[in-house]
Amino acid sequence: MSRRAELRVMKGSALAGLLLAGLTLAGAAARADAPPDPHAAGRVVYTKWCAPCHDPGVTHPGTNALTVKYQGIKPGVLLEWKDLQPETVKYLVRHGISVMPQFRKTEISDAELEALAKFLSRNTPTH
Amino acid sequence: MRLPAGVSSTDFASAIAEFETAVGRQWVFTSDEDVDLYRDAFSPFLHEPEELVASAAVAPVSTEQVQQIVRIANRYKIPLYPISTGKNLGYGGSAPAYSGSVVVDLKRMNKVIEVNEANAFALVEPGVSYFDLYHHIQERKLKVWIDCPDPGWGSVIGNALDRGGGYTTANYRNHFDSHCGMEIVLPNGELLRTGMGAIPNAKTWQQYKSGCGPWIDGIFSQSNFGIVTKMGFWLMPEPEAYLRGTVSLSRYGDLAPMVETLNYLENARITAGFPDIASPLNGYPPIGQVQLWNETGPPTMIDEHRQLLASAKLGYSPELEAYGIKSGIPYWQLWLSFHGPAEVIEAQWQAAQRHFSKLEGAKFRVVDRIKLPIDPAKADAYHEPELGVPALRAFSIGARSPWNPTPSKGHMWFSPIVPRTGEAIIEANRVFSAAARELDMPLFQSFCMPACFWERCFIFILATPVTEAPATNKRYREGFKKLIAVGGQHGWGEYRTAPVFQKSVMDVYSFNEHALQRFHETLKDAIDPNGIMSPGRYAIWPKHLREKRT
Repeated sequence: MSRRAELRVMKGSALAGLLLAGLTLAGAAARADAPPDPHAAGRVVYTKWCAPCHDPGVTHPGTNALTVKYQGIKPGVLLEWKDLQPETVKYLVRHGISVMPQFRKTEISDAELEALAKFLSRNTPTH
Repeated sequence: MRLPAGVSSTDFASAIAEFETAVGRQWVFTSDEDVDLYRDAFSPFLHEPEELVASAAVAPVSTEQVQQIVRIANRYKIPLYPISTGKNLGYGGSAPAYSGSVVVDLKRMNKVIEVNEANAFALVEPGVSYFDLYHHIQERKLKVWIDCPDPGWGSVIGNALDRGGGYTTANYRNHFDSHCGMEIVLPNGELLRTGMGAIPNAKTWQQYKSGCGPWIDGIFSQSNFGIVTKMGFWLMPEPEAYLRGTVSLSRYGDLAPMVETLNYLENARITAGFPDIASPLNGYPPIGQVQLWNETGPPTMIDEHRQLLASAKLGYSPELEAYGIKSGIPYWQLWLSFHGPAEVIEAQWQAAQRHFSKLEGAKFRVVDRIKLPIDPAKADAYHEPELGVPALRAFSIGARSPWNPTPSKGHMWFSPIVPRTGEAIIEANRVFSAAARELDMPLFQSFCMPACFWERCFIFILATPVTEAPATNKRYREGFKKLIAVGGQHGWGEYRTAPVFQKSVMDVYSFNEHALQRFHETLKDAIDPNGIMSPGRYAIWPKHLREKRT
C-alpha cells in the first residue's frame, strides 16, 4: 500500500471509529478484540522504503521490472509473491539489484529488515 | 579492518574507539559487510579495484556529535566524507571521493526543525529527505509546497549542496539559490552560522539570506570546507491552480525564435513553471514524459518517419521537415506551466500565446487545468515533481521494462551547461554527437533537447549507462572524460559530476592558469590544515595529497 493510500485508509478508519463509538459499544469491543497485525512493523518499512517502486501499477518501476523479468511466472507486485524467502529479501536490501541500490543500516536497521523480510514472506509456506 | 592511507592501525583503532564513545557503538560501522553498504551503487568502477570505497562509517544524531567526530578526526588525521542521505546516485552515491575515508552518515539527523507557513520556509537537518519534508507538510495540512528533484528520496540539504534542481517555479527550482541560512561544523570542529544566523538569538535566519559582510554560503556547496548540519529553505505558498499548455511549431528554423521568446517570457515572469522542450519530429520527449515513455512505451513511429530520421543531419532534412508538416507532427514542442490564481495564470497563458503567435503557424493546446490542491493519490497522473510531489518513478530510467529488456547497473550523468539559444542547442548536438561517435559512446546518438532547470541557461542531462562489463565501463569512463574536455574547448562546462570525474570537470574551469582551483586550495589550506574534510571532493585536495591532481 502506498503512503498516500495508507493515509486515506487511516483517515477513513478514524471516521468509521467515530461513527461506531456513537452507535454501539459492542462494535468498539469487537475492534479491541481484533488480533494485532503481526506484520505492522514490516508494513511500515515496506511503505516507507519499498512502496514507491514496488506498489501495484505501471508508475512503479520495480513492479514493471519484475513483471517483465518473470513474464507471468511470478507476479510483478512484490506483495503478491507466495514464495519469497526472508533471506532473499535481506540479501537484496543489503546488496541491491539492477538500478535498485543497497540500503544502509541508518536507513533500514537490522531489526527493521527482519520485520520487512517476515512481512514480504508472510505468504510463503514455511515447510 | 580497512585503513585510510597513511594512518597507522593503532591510530585508526583509537579513532574508532573514540567515535564509538561519541555516537554509541552501534553507530560505528567497521566490518566489510557494513562498510560495503556505503559503496556507490552506480559506480562506474563496478567489479574493478579502483572503485572508491570507505574504510568505516560513523552515524551521528546531533550537531554536537558531528563536532566530536571532526575533532577526533583531526587528532588522528582521519579523512572524513559526510553524506546526508547517500542517495546522490549518478553523481557518486554514498561513497567517498578519496578511498579510505570514514563516511560520516548524517541520515539519523532527520529532524524537520520548523516549517513556517506564514513566511513560507523550512529549517531542516541533513537526513531529511524530500519525502520526509513532504509528508511532514501534508500531515499538518500546511499550505506550502516543496520543490523536489527526481527521484525524491534524496536529502533536501544534500541536493542543494550538490546544487541540484527541481520542477516547480523558477524561484524555487534552483535548490541552492532557494536556501536561506546554514549551520556548519567547520573542519576544526567549530560551529558557524551564516547570514542572519550569525546574530545570537537571530529572528530572521530564514528570511534574509546574506546577513552583513561577505556572503560565504556558496563555498560550502560542491566543496569540502565543512559539514552542514542545518539549512533553511524558502518554500512556495501552495498555488490555487495549475495550467499546462503546449506551443507546437512546424519548422526547423523556429527553434531559435522559440527559445528567444521563451527566454523573454520566463525572465519577465510571464511564465515561471518548468519549461519543457521536446522535438516530436525527432522522437525526443519532454522531460515530464520520459517516465511515461519508459512505463508505457514511446509513441509508435512509422517506417517512413524512421527512415527520414536516420538520414537527417543534426535533426534536420528538408524531407523530414516536409514530412512533419504533412503529418502534423511538430518539429518543436514547448510545454509551459503556470501556477497561481486561475484568473492570473489564464492571463499569463494568453500573453504567452500572443508572443508565440508571432511565429508562423504556432499551435497551442491546453494539456491540464487543475484546481489545487490535488488529491495526492492522483498525482501519478502527472509528472509528480512538477506539482511538488516527490516520487521514485525516475528509476524507470535504466530499469527493466518491455522497452528495456536489459537493465543497467546505474548511470553517470553527463550534464553540460550551454547557452539558452536555439543555435547553442544545434551546436552542442553537432559537437557532442561527432565526439560521441568517435569515442563510441552511447550519447547524442540522435538529436537531443536540453532541459530548462536553470533560468538563464540550458543543460543537457544524458545518462551514460554503467554495465556489468568492466571493459565497457572503462570505455565509457574514458569517453566521458573526453566529452567533458570537448565541451570545455567550446566554453561549456558540467554543472555537477561524480567524484570519478570531478578532476576532469574542474580542469575545464581553468581561466588564468586554474586561478579558481588555486583559490579553492588556498581556502582549503586555511580552513582545513589537516586536510581531514572530504579530500578530493570537487578536486579540492589538501596540501599533503595535492600531488594526486597531476
